[in-house]
Amino acid sequence: MERPEWAPADVDLSRPSVARAYDYWLGGSHNFEVDREFARQAMAAVPDLRLVARANREFLHRAVRFMLDQGVRQFLDIGSGIPTVGNVHEIAQQVDPDARVVYVDIDPVAVTHSTHILAGQPNAVALLEDLRHPEAILEHPETRRLLDLDRPVGLLLVSVVHAVPDHDDPYGLIKRLWTALAPGSCVAISHVTTDSRPDEMGEGTRLSGRTNTPVTARTRAQVEDLFAGLDLVEPGVVWSPLWRPESPAEVGDHPERMSFYVGVGRRR
Amino acid sequence: MNDRPDADGIDDRHRPGVEEFVTAWATALHRAHYVPITAEQRHRIVSALAERLVTAVLTDPVRPGDGQRIGTDLVAAGFGSPEALGGTIAVIGARLPAALGVAADPTRATRLNGLLADLAAGFASAAHDRSLREQDAVRLAALDARTQAEEALRVSEARFRRFATHDQLTGLPNLTRFTEELGRLCSAAVPVDRVGVCCLDVDDFAAVNDVLGHRVGDLLLREIAHRLAALTDPRIGLVARLDSDRFAILVRGTTCAEDAIKIADRALATLAAPFRVNGTEVPLTASAGVAEGAVADDGATLMRDSEIALHWAKADGKGTLRRFDQDRSAADAARYRLSAAMPAALHRGEFTAAYQPIAALRSGRLAGVEALARWRHPQLGLLTAARFIDLAEHTGLVVALGRHLLEQACRQASRWQRIQPGLYVSVNVSVRQLRRNGLAGEVAQILDRTGLPPHLLQLEVTEQAVIDLTGVVTESLAALMALGVRIVIDDFGIGYANLANLRSLPLHGLKLDASLTRPAAQPVRQPGARRPGTDDDFLRTVVSLGHRLGLVVTAEGIETAQQAHRLAATGCDNGQGWHFGRPVPPDEITASIVAQRDRDPVSRDTALPAFPAQQR
Ligand SMILES: C[S@@+](CC[C@H](N)C(=O)[O-])C[C@H]1O[C@@H](n2cnc3c(N)ncnc32)[C@H](O)[C@@H]1O
Repeated sequence: MERPEWAPADVDLSRPSVARAYDYWLGGSHNFEVDREFARQAMAAVPDLRLVARANREFLHRAVRFMLDQGVRQFLDIGSGIPTVGNVHEIAQQVDPDARVVYVDIDPVAVTHSTHILAGQPNAVALLEDLRHPEAILEHPETRRLLDLDRPVGLLLVSVVHAVPDHDDPYGLIKRLWTALAPGSCVAISHVTTDSRPDEMGEGTRLSGRTNTPVTARTRAQVEDLFAGLDLVEPGVVWSPLWRPESPAEVGDHPERMSFYVGVGRRR
Repeated sequence: MNDRPDADGIDDRHRPGVEEFVTAWATALHRAHYVPITAEQRHRIVSALAERLVTAVLTDPVRPGDGQRIGTDLVAAGFGSPEALGGTIAVIGARLPAALGVAADPTRATRLNGLLADLAAGFASAAHDRSLREQDAVRLAALDARTQAEEALRVSEARFRRFATHDQLTGLPNLTRFTEELGRLCSAAVPVDRVGVCCLDVDDFAAVNDVLGHRVGDLLLREIAHRLAALTDPRIGLVARLDSDRFAILVRGTTCAEDAIKIADRALATLAAPFRVNGTEVPLTASAGVAEGAVADDGATLMRDSEIALHWAKADGKGTLRRFDQDRSAADAARYRLSAAMPAALHRGEFTAAYQPIAALRSGRLAGVEALARWRHPQLGLLTAARFIDLAEHTGLVVALGRHLLEQACRQASRWQRIQPGLYVSVNVSVRQLRRNGLAGEVAQILDRTGLPPHLLQLEVTEQAVIDLTGVVTESLAALMALGVRIVIDDFGIGYANLANLRSLPLHGLKLDASLTRPAAQPVRQPGARRPGTDDDFLRTVVSLGHRLGLVVTAEGIETAQQAHRLAATGCDNGQGWHFGRPVPPDEITASIVAQRDRDPVSRDTALPAFPAQQR
């Protein structure tokens, strides 16, 4: 007989997890040898991968602060990964202790760890859901409990959309997500590309096939298309260090080497 | 952060240098390691650490642990990477002695070195601790994730299992579960010797659904399930819904079939009370089939047997229960095999006609013959119509079979015209044939092909066939009449002859059923009841009824000369029965015709010699 839809995912610790490898690149120890082995292989292909990861993480924080400045007080962080220092709820709650955050990831270990970290946090939860099932995320009772969808939400799709292959229609998925949100909601996207470093990033992308979430790199035009229907906030879709840097010194000489296109759009 | 208020050793001379040192340190840390704080927050943290470091260098006496704590706090602030430590050592070594003006002071320089070593040790140990904590955390998370996944799997498996083994509508176990349990009981592992299966089916449930709608149908099914599940008996092992309106009860530890039958009886009784849905009373009946046996029998057989028995209950009029019975089942199976073999047999020409004489009762001479179907079965031998006509009627093969016999009979009768002109042939026509369009057309073609004059073909239809004169039947009969074919009612007197129909139908004659022509049993005398007429009175009345309607009357079942005389005396026209001859192959009829002609060339005899009977 066929297994029904509600059969849960397995926890396979013999395969590298992108969530945990990313934690390693950021200097964390929330990872296992399989993850580190993969992470080192990727670093052999892209020697400055740690900086690439860091530039992406820095964008996440700038985007969250931008949204907080816009008055956004509730966040939906999909592909939130392993909590490391500077999680979205920590940053948001510095500004408003009542800020709400729903974390979503498909990595069960990432989600349980998040749940541990969030114990005693009434205003933040972590859900084991899939970006490819937007309605399941939006209609999840916890989402409904924490987020008021009649008020603006900060939707964070940081370093996760490239885990959705074309045949799962990331463009449509993103639209389904933000159309459920109130006007004034913001959508942050960061996305891997091989545009600037075809060889090294190409190899890195290929290696990701070993993990639980293989990567589909996209071009600038494609990443811009992900924002279709939204008003792109200045400066539009740019290399990660170039999006509203804290100071010009932060940018570095070769922002294109950071190999992530990023941007923030606003729902009209 | 446990920075101390204005420490002893710092004086304003050092301020600018220390300030520069702080900036350089913060920059080095930022370059080495990402902590999600603003530049300003970073500066604040670093300057507090720098202040403690400077104080430790300049203040006496040395306080053990200062260096280590600075290292630890650096890690706690998030700057825990090896690069952060490297950058820290480099910046302190390169800038702090000059900034504090202690480059030339060996005591302070040594102290700074010591602090640096302590800081590195504190840092490393804190970073190690942090690493271990994170390892613990991720391991714990992985463990929990596993447990949760397993639990989720268990829950989903349980749900899946429930889903797979239970009926969603009524919540009762389903066929899968029932079969499983039956199989379990039938496996030797369980100490139960005999089991019973009661299979129940609501009668005409489809009609309930059609008339009252599926919603009401579903409510009824729930209520039925509820009543069945409420039956209490220690022997009831399981009540299941097999499909649509079919339920089953598994009976454990029976000693004989009666035990299972009792439970089936109670089940039927509980369903007999009227159901109420939305304030309306819905009376229902159900039928049940019971099979019971030793567990050595396999479960599937018991299940099938109970369904066969259920089928019997339905066939025997519904609202009742039947117990499986091997003999009846074997007979059913044989009938089924026979029925299935018929089309091929027809194709191979295994069906032939036998002919039974019909005599004019006054002269005793052969007037006609009735063609009767025979099956030369390769294994079972010659079968009479009684063995297979009902089956053919049931499957519809009777139409093709009828056509085949009609053609044979007409062809044969046509041949006999040469030796006995005017001899007619009587052929049975089934209800199915009559209800089909085009029977008259077929008959016309057959008469055409065989050259038999229409009035020498007599078609026998049963009372049953004409009891309900629907359009097609009436049209067929009228068209046959128009052809000139004769139509008689067969087996008259045993069905519910509709006398009104007798008047309106284009009939030629009646064939009285053998039961009418045989002497009746002595009737029980009721005091005061009117004296019943004699058998002869009775027959005379029936015959004259026929004659009054202008019909030729033929008596069937004449077995003795005495019967023949009696019937002749009543005025009955023709007779048929063993006395005149049994059904025989056509050449024996030919032989008798020839014999009769030789014996009695111009027969106008008044005596009643038995038509030479040809026994086979
Ligand atoms: C590189 S991490 C990003 C973490 C964080 N958003 C950041 O940028 O700092 C990518 C995360 O996306 C998750 N992910 C991949 N495919 C996903 C999907 N279809 N639905 C939800 N999460 C997904 C992975 O499990 C992983 O934890």
